[in-house]
Amino acid sequence: MAGGWMGKMLYIDLSKGEVEARVSQPSIRSYIGGRALAAHLAWKEISPDTDVYDPENCIIITTGPLTGTLAPTSGRTVMTSISPRVYPKPWYTHSTIGGWFGPQLKYAGFDGIVIRGKAASPVYIDIRDESVKIADASDLWGLDARKTQLLLKERVSQEAQILTIGPAGENRVRFATVQHAEENAAGHSGFGAVWGSKNLKAIVVHGTRGVPVAYSDTLLKEVTRIREQKYSNLLGFLYDKGDHKEFAACSQSCIFDCFGNFYGYMPDGRRVPANCIGTSWTVAEEMHLTKYSGGGIEIPSSNNFGLEKEVPLHELCNSLGLDLWFRLVMQPWFIRCTQLGITEIRGYPIKPEDPSWFENFMHQLASRQDLGDLFAEDLIRAMDELEGELPQELIDLGREMEFNFGFPAHREGRFWDEEPLPFWVISAMMHISASRDPGIGHHLSSLLLAELFLNDQDLARKQFRILSEKVWGDPEAYEPNFKGKAPVAIWSQHQNMIIDSIPLCDFAFPQLVYPFSDRDTWKRSEDISGDLNIDLRLLSAVTGERFDREQINRIAERAFTLERLMLARAGRSRKMEEQLASHFQLPCRADGTWMDKTAFLRLMDEYYTARGWDLELGWPTEDLLKSLDLDEAIPELNQLRMQFAGKK
Amino acid sequence: MGSIKRIVTNKKVCRDCQACVLGCSIYHEKESNVQLARLKIIKDMARYEFDISICKHCKNPKCMKECPSDAMYLDERGVVIIIDEKCTRCGACQENCPFDAIYYNSQKNQYIKCDLCVGRENGPLCVELCPVGALRLKQKVEG
Repeated sequence: MAGGWMGKMLYIDLSKGEVEARVSQPSIRSYIGGRALAAHLAWKEISPDTDVYDPENCIIITTGPLTGTLAPTSGRTVMTSISPRVYPKPWYTHSTIGGWFGPQLKYAGFDGIVIRGKAASPVYIDIRDESVKIADASDLWGLDARKTQLLLKERVSQEAQILTIGPAGENRVRFATVQHAEENAAGHSGFGAVWGSKNLKAIVVHGTRGVPVAYSDTLLKEVTRIREQKYSNLLGFLYDKGDHKEFAACSQSCIFDCFGNFYGYMPDGRRVPANCIGTSWTVAEEMHLTKYSGGGIEIPSSNNFGLEKEVPLHELCNSLGLDLWFRLVMQPWFIRCTQLGITEIRGYPIKPEDPSWFENFMHQLASRQDLGDLFAEDLIRAMDELEGELPQELIDLGREMEFNFGFPAHREGRFWDEEPLPFWVISAMMHISASRDPGIGHHLSSLLLAELFLNDQDLARKQFRILSEKVWGDPEAYEPNFKGKAPVAIWSQHQNMIIDSIPLCDFAFPQLVYPFSDRDTWKRSEDISGDLNIDLRLLSAVTGERFDREQINRIAERAFTLERLMLARAGRSRKMEEQLASHFQLPCRADGTWMDKTAFLRLMDEYYTARGWDLELGWPTEDLLKSLDLDEAIPELNQLRMQFAGKK
Repeated sequence: MGSIKRIVTNKKVCRDCQACVLGCSIYHEKESNVQLARLKIIKDMARYEFDISICKHCKNPKCMKECPSDAMYLDERGVVIIIDEKCTRCGACQENCPFDAIYYNSQKNQYIKCDLCVGRENGPLCVELCPVGALRLKQKVEG
C-alpha cells in the first residue's frame, strides 16, 4: 500500500492566468520530494538563460512524503527559484520553511506548486481542495505579512495556511522573505522579491483530505519511541536543564524541546514565538556574538535594545518581510561606521544604536526609501555602490560579512558562531560547492559537534574517533587538522539533501549524535553515535516502499549534482569560488587557525576530486553524470563548457 | 465506588504542533487527517491563542441525554461512548455538546468523539505525544 505522496502537482502560469493539476509520478519517486524534487523540476522548467525577474523564472514549492504526517518535525515546505540576493549575479537556490503550510497543501491534494509568469496586477492564489483560483489581491497589496494572513484567514478559514510577502517583497528588496505564520519564512534567499516581481502577494490553502500512511502502526511505534528523546538539538544537554522552560514549535509535528526556540512577549502580553536567529531579537542577549577581531577586520558587538523594544521590532521585521539575518550584518556594520566617525551616508544620518532610528530604517528598507533604497540591495551590493565614498576598511568589512556570494557569514568559524578546526574546514568545502550558505543544511549534521569539542576537547576527540570510524570508516575524520575532510563535507551535504527532501528538520536530523538529556550522560559515554536510520524507517512506514541507504544517498547525490548544474548555467565556476580563499585567511575566532590561498586551493582540489568534478571549472564530469543517470544533461553541459572557453 | 477519567487541557502552553490531532487520526483511522481526529486545536492567530476541543466526559452528559436513539452510554471508566450500530446520524449529540467535541466523519458517515483510546496500553495517545503537557490524563476514584 502506497502512502505519503498525494500524486498531483499544480502548475500555475500567472501571465496566462492558467491553472493545471498534473499527475506527479513517477519523477516524484525518483527524487522523493522537497529540495531534491525541486532541483529536478528547476532543471526542466527554468530555461538556461532565465534571469531572476524574468516572468519565466519559476517559483517552485515542494513538500515531501512525510509532510503532513506525524513524523516528527515533518511539517516543512521547500521553496526554490533563482535568487536575487546571490552576488555577483543571481542563481538558483533554495529555502526551507517550517510551519504548517506544506501539510495544508497536501491536505488539499497537492505535493507541490510550480509558478511561472507575471500577473498583470496583484493576485493571490486561493486553493481550497481541488478548487484553485487566481484571485485579485489589489486590497492586499501594501499590507504587511501579518495583516495579510489575518485577513485571508478571516476570508477563507482559521485553519487555512498562508504564504505571503510583505512590503519588502513587493518592493523587490533583495533579502525579502516569503512569510508564513508568525516567523516561519523562506528567509535568506530573497524569494519575496521574486514573488513581488510576479505580482504574487500570497498563496492561501485549505484542505480537507488526509495523507495516506502505508503502515500506521509502524509509524506510531517509531514516533512514540523518538518522543522519549526529549531534545532535538544536541546542544541542549550542554546547558543546565530548566534554564529555558518554554520552547516554541516552529513546525507541525515537532514534538521536541528545541534549544533554538523560545517565546518573547509583546507589551500587551501576547506570546510571540521566536525560532533560530529570531531568538537573538526576542529572548537572549545574543547580539554581542557578532563581535570579532582579527586579520585587520573589526566587527563591533551588535546592540540589543532590550526585550521591551526588541520583541515588537522582531515582529515588525517579520511583518515587513525582511530576512531577520539582515540585522546581524547591517547593525554591526553601521556601528563600525560610527566608531570610525561616519555619522551619515549620502546625507542620511546613521544611528544604529538608537531603536527609533533602527525601526525607521527597517521601514525605509522595506519601502526602498532614502537610505533604505541603497541597503535594500543588500550590504555587499551597497559596498560596491559606496566604494570610494567611505573608508576602505568599511567596504572590506561589508564584503567579509557577506563573503559567501552575498549571504550573511556564519558557521564558518569567523563570524557569529564558533567552529574550531576541523569544523570550519568542512564548512569551507560546503561554502565553495553549494548554491548558498550551508547553514541551513548543517545545523545538526556536523558543525554543532564543535560545541562538544569546545566544551571538553580531550573527551570529544576520543568520542569523535569512535564516531568517525563508525560513520566514515576513518577515525581521523574529525581530527583537528586539514586532511581528508571532503568525505565528511559530502556526507553532510547529502544527508541534508535527504532531510530537506523527505522532509525533516535539520535541527533534529540526521541524528549523528545521540540526543543526550544531560551533560553527565554525555561525559560518561564512549560511543556518542545516534540513530542514523530514523529517516529511512519513517519514510518506509509512511510510503510503504523500501528505501536503503545506498539508494537514498544516490538520490541525494543526483539532486545535489543538478543544483550544481544550475550553478554552471549561471556561470559559476572555480574562479569565483577561489575568491572565498581570503575569508579563510582570517583567524578562526575559536582557535586562531587559518589557511593561506595555496592551502585553500588544495582543499578545493580535494573536494572537487572527491565529488567527481573537473579541477578547471569545478563542474560535474561526463562520467559522473552518466553514473547518476543524468545523461540528458550532458549535451547542455558540453555546450556550456564551449561557451565558457569562448569567453576566456 | 467509581472512577472518573478525563483529559484536562491547558491551552496556554499549547504550541500548535498538532501531534495530538495527527496521532489521534492515525491511531483511530490509519490516516494522517486532522478532519478525522477526535480532538481539534484551533489557532487564533490575532491573539496567538489556541482552543483545544476534546470531550470532557461530563458526569451528566448532555449529548447522551439528547440522543434520541440511546446510542450513547457512560462506560465503567466514566467515558462517554457512541454505539455506532445504534447511531442514526441525526447529529443531536454534536449539536448539544457544550464543548464542540463531537465530530462528523463525512468519509464514513459517522459521528466520532474521544474514547480515551480505549484498550490502548499506555492510555490516550494524545497525552503521550503532547510535548508540553497541554493534555493530561486526570484520574479520580470516587467513593
